[in-house]
Amino acid sequence: MNNENLLNEKHEKDLNYKRDMRSPFSEFVGKFKKQKTAIAASVFILTLIILSLIGNKVVPYDYSEYDYANVLQGPSGDHFFGTDEFGRDIFSRIIIGTKISLFVGLLSVTIGAVAGTALGLISGYYGGFLDSIIMRISDVLFAFPGVILAIGIIAILGPGIGNVIIAVAIFSTPSFARIVRSTTLELKESVFVKAAKNLGASDARILFKHILPGAMSNIIVYYTMTIGSSILTASSLSFLGMGAQAPSPEWGLMLSTGRAYIGLNWHMTFFPGLAIFLTVLSFNLLGDGLRDALDPKLTE
Amino acid sequence: MFRYFLKRTLAVIPTILIVSVFVFMFVRFIPGDPARRVAGPDATLEDVENIRETLGLNKSIPEQYKDYMLGLMKGDMGTSLKTQRPVTYEIGQRYMNTVRLTVVSLLWSVIAGVLIGVFSGKNRSKWQDYTGMTLAVSGISVPSFWLGLMLISVFAVNLKWFPTVGSEGLKSLVLPSITLGASVAAIIARFTRSSIIEILKEDYIRTARAKGLRENKVVWKHVFRNSMIAVVTVVGLQFGFLLGGSVVTESVFAFPGLGSLLIDSVNFRDYPMIQSLILIFSLHFVVINLVIDLLYAGLNPEIQMQ
Repeated sequence: MNNENLLNEKHEKDLNYKRDMRSPFSEFVGKFKKQKTAIAASVFILTLIILSLIGNKVVPYDYSEYDYANVLQGPSGDHFFGTDEFGRDIFSRIIIGTKISLFVGLLSVTIGAVAGTALGLISGYYGGFLDSIIMRISDVLFAFPGVILAIGIIAILGPGIGNVIIAVAIFSTPSFARIVRSTTLELKESVFVKAAKNLGASDARILFKHILPGAMSNIIVYYTMTIGSSILTASSLSFLGMGAQAPSPEWGLMLSTGRAYIGLNWHMTFFPGLAIFLTVLSFNLLGDGLRDALDPKLTE
Repeated sequence: MFRYFLKRTLAVIPTILIVSVFVFMFVRFIPGDPARRVAGPDATLEDVENIRETLGLNKSIPEQYKDYMLGLMKGDMGTSLKTQRPVTYEIGQRYMNTVRLTVVSLLWSVIAGVLIGVFSGKNRSKWQDYTGMTLAVSGISVPSFWLGLMLISVFAVNLKWFPTVGSEGLKSLVLPSITLGASVAAIIARFTRSSIIEILKEDYIRTARAKGLRENKVVWKHVFRNSMIAVVTVVGLQFGFLLGGSVVTESVFAFPGLGSLLIDSVNFRDYPMIQSLILIFSLHFVVINLVIDLLYAGLNPEIQMQ
């Protein structure tokens, strides 16, 4: 009898709880839906992803085909963005180039995020000697202005898109490590982590089941924002001749080729640059939207 | 206060030492035989041995480090493989150009960034805010080399208002500093805005309004001055961004500074030069961040208390 009452009471509490508190995810979805620009940005990014997968089926011309009868043509109905010094269709090249920029941006930041998160968790959770070593190394990496570090790494490894990915991954790692470390330090002292510890949960379980999910929203926001800046850095490196090499349709490289024709053939630099700009802009707008939707302090 | 200054200053020394080890190890990180790599594919065996000798690669690593550090103390950073002149001479030739470019860029971007940030922040969710923040997010996203080339195309090639390349006179600084400062201005604007919004929520602002101060006075005297404390730290971080950005911007404008020298050196595999430039860039960055930290401590009474 008594037990039944207790159970009923508990059930009622649960129901109330569900009515009052939406799940964090549905709360996030609700807030994110209000971010019009972030939604537009996600649609654009989705389009880019689709183009990077099926680009070669939708482009009007072969991106690598030389057409000496039509070199350096301005934008027209035949060639939306004009043609380059070999008569290649710039519109098609930009579409095919989507794959490269997205791949480089996503892969380098993902490597940086995974490595940085692992290091940050270890550093924050275990503290002590490991923590000082990891933080010292990240201090040193922070002592080099971003692009300079990347250029240094390229100078050692040699030019090429693969080395650009490594360079960008290395210099995005310490930021993730710091962000995750500070959240870990905070959560380590929380009641639920202490409770889990007292119940005999292993370190791995505490780290992955209790601390990592708590750090996730910070990681996601920073991850999205870093993709934009990594695409910028990678294309800068290609522009400087350290990344993708001709005849790759990489956007930064196309810009660097177009430089020689800047006076009369502005379209050769304008369109690849616009592609970089819009892509980076979308990732930044998405990052802003995610931040506003995930930040519990920003409730109206 | 003095103790804080001293502690913070001394803390930089280990960082600088580790940075110097990193930069020293730089040539030794090259996979395979560094001398061979530096000499290039067409070099003879003799050339390779010469380079090994010049770079001191035939000695043991600790010995090499000792030589390197002793050289640095005497202001000797080695010899450029490209020009055969001392690295310090080559850097000295271009140093002031980069300083001029970064300082001008920083100046305009701080002024523009703070102004945009203040107007956006105090007119939150109004058209001024939307315009300012649209500008700011665009500034962060725009590839500087594209912005630079578009500015060249419009203002130098077509309108002929400014020279396309070079570093002669003030006019030649206009387009490069716009290019270099754009993203910094944007970041400062965003930061100033959120700082202003935070401060507007403070009790003392309500008090200031309650006692009947004019809105302009509230914003510029109370909100602005307090928000600047936080903005100072961002400016320090942005300096590193400017140093890095100078590499790209200088290449776009063929501006004879340290950034374009770095790119030339990488293309020429001039490792002593690359090494020294990276060291100089990071030393500046570390020292400027130290100065900003100290400035911040000087400005913020809360830190002085601790």
